[in-house]
Amino acid sequence: MAERNLHPQEVSRLREEQVKVVTGCQDQIQHWKKVQSDYEALQQRLSTLPDKLSYDIMVPFGPLAFMPGKLVHTNEVTVLLGDNWFAKCSAKQASNLVEHRKKHVKTALDDLYKVVKNFEARVGFTEDLEKQSSEKGDFVDIIEEVENEEILTKGKQRTAHKPYSRPKNQDVFECGEGDPKATSRILSEEELWARLDELETQEELLDQKDRISYSADTNGDDTTSSSSEEEKEHLSGNLPCLHGEEGWPPVTQEDSRLITCQANGNGQHHSDDEDDEGSCVPTIYFTHTVEPKRVRINTGKNTTLKFSERKEEAKRKRKNSNGNGHSVPGLTKIKTPADLYRLFVDVVNGELVPRKSILKSRSREDSMCSDTSESSDDRRGFCRNLSHDESTHSDTSEGVLQEEENFPSKPLPLPGVFEAFSGTVVEKDPTQPSLIPHLTIVSPALPTIPERKAEEVVPQVQKELCKKVSKFKAARMQQQI
Amino acid sequence: MADIIQKKLQTEVEKYQQIQKDLSKSMSARQKLEAQLTENNIVKEELDLLDSQNLVYKLIGPVLVKQDLEEAKGTVGKRLEYINGEMTHRHTEVLAGLQQEYQKSQGKVPVKV
Repeated sequence: MAERNLHPQEVSRLREEQVKVVTGCQDQIQHWKKVQSDYEALQQRLSTLPDKLSYDIMVPFGPLAFMPGKLVHTNEVTVLLGDNWFAKCSAKQASNLVEHRKKHVKTALDDLYKVVKNFEARVGFTEDLEKQSSEKGDFVDIIEEVENEEILTKGKQRTAHKPYSRPKNQDVFECGEGDPKATSRILSEEELWARLDELETQEELLDQKDRISYSADTNGDDTTSSSSEEEKEHLSGNLPCLHGEEGWPPVTQEDSRLITCQANGNGQHHSDDEDDEGSCVPTIYFTHTVEPKRVRINTGKNTTLKFSERKEEAKRKRKNSNGNGHSVPGLTKIKTPADLYRLFVDVVNGELVPRKSILKSRSREDSMCSDTSESSDDRRGFCRNLSHDESTHSDTSEGVLQEEENFPSKPLPLPGVFEAFSGTVVEKDPTQPSLIPHLTIVSPALPTIPERKAEEVVPQVQKELCKKVSKFKAARMQQQI
Repeated sequence: MADIIQKKLQTEVEKYQQIQKDLSKSMSARQKLEAQLTENNIVKEELDLLDSQNLVYKLIGPVLVKQDLEEAKGTVGKRLEYINGEMTHRHTEVLAGLQQEYQKSQGKVPVKV
């Protein structure tokens, strides 16, 4: 945060002062060098002086005249020792004294040189600082603004206990604040539903913000985001046809200051309202999105599913209020594409369960999506979907993308391990929107590094094969196989 | 109301300036002493280089007065001690105190403003 306080004027002022010191030192060095040269000349003279008994010289007579004269007693020199002390000594002794003084001069010079060196280093540093605070540099400030200071803690807060004493239970027990479910248990049922509604709207808002700021991004390369980035790519990749921006409520720029990206080296930057006038450093603001609570559910053989409990409760609530098992798309409000997938739920044992994942299980290390495509969004989304599961809409995106995996199973070298088809096919009406070929593919858990590498390694042949197809067509083709 | 504040500000500023003057005086005196110290050190060393055959003179006014080498050495030594004493006893404490007051009044003045 210190960069905020560094205005370019201050930095330049600092630099000026340092340059002043350096020049002052240089002047002193010049002075001492002159002294040194004088002493050397003096020594020279002293060495030659006793050569003759007397010299014929022009003696200065007052300020303007000279008189011819003689220099006698050439070996006797009166030396000023300092502080009004004089000493008469021979030329050689005087020479020794001069030598001694020269030592002092040398030490002074050395000190000055050291100082100059240090300050020159400092000047260089402040120059760098200046560059940094101006737009020319390649430095980027990355700032995360923490709005609310609540820290989400999963467990109880720990208090340090005094030495030689046991921690007492009552001292230690303190619930984590960030868990809305925990707090909601204390509330009554109506409050519970109200709270859930609140949270749901919050979540939707967050999701919309994510999408808007993603669409407002200039360049997706340099972002330093967390899961929100992947979430966006999920959505944009998976649901291109359902991507409707008109329905979204307008979000002001102040609200959606999630990510401002820097175009590659151009120095282009978004200036937030909160930016100082003086700061010219491109800044990236990012915030961590709050992850909704997730739960793994075993929905079948080798399949697990992650979905948000909140959403489940919301679905349940809707079910109760509507009195309807299946939510009809026309009746209930669909604001976002994600809503669709939330609505299409199976009713299993009277409970609403999200659709079973048709993605393959992650039991195998290299059971990954099959290509290294750089281009198409949905490919990327697909791969990412397979590889990590952080989106709240994971259950929805599975439905769209699994087919792409089905038919290119043969030419893929990797999916030799990958089970393209488990053997059971459930015949369903293709016209129904709830078509899911019954394959034991599961949405994978969070990505691990080896899996990612496996992704990249796969050859590009599969690129052509994995075209985007609708899931209905894919299912039909699957049945034809 | 504004007048009172004005007066207060005035007094504070005067105090601050006074302290500043004192500080600068002490600083210059200290620098003088330091210069004399180094000079006398050089003299002492150079006197050590000489032997008793050389004649040592001291400049008193327009007169060069002959001095004994040993005497000169002693005199210079005493002068050195005197300078050191001056520096340590008088000035360090005073200086430290003055600097503190200086900073305090520096703080006060902007606060008042």
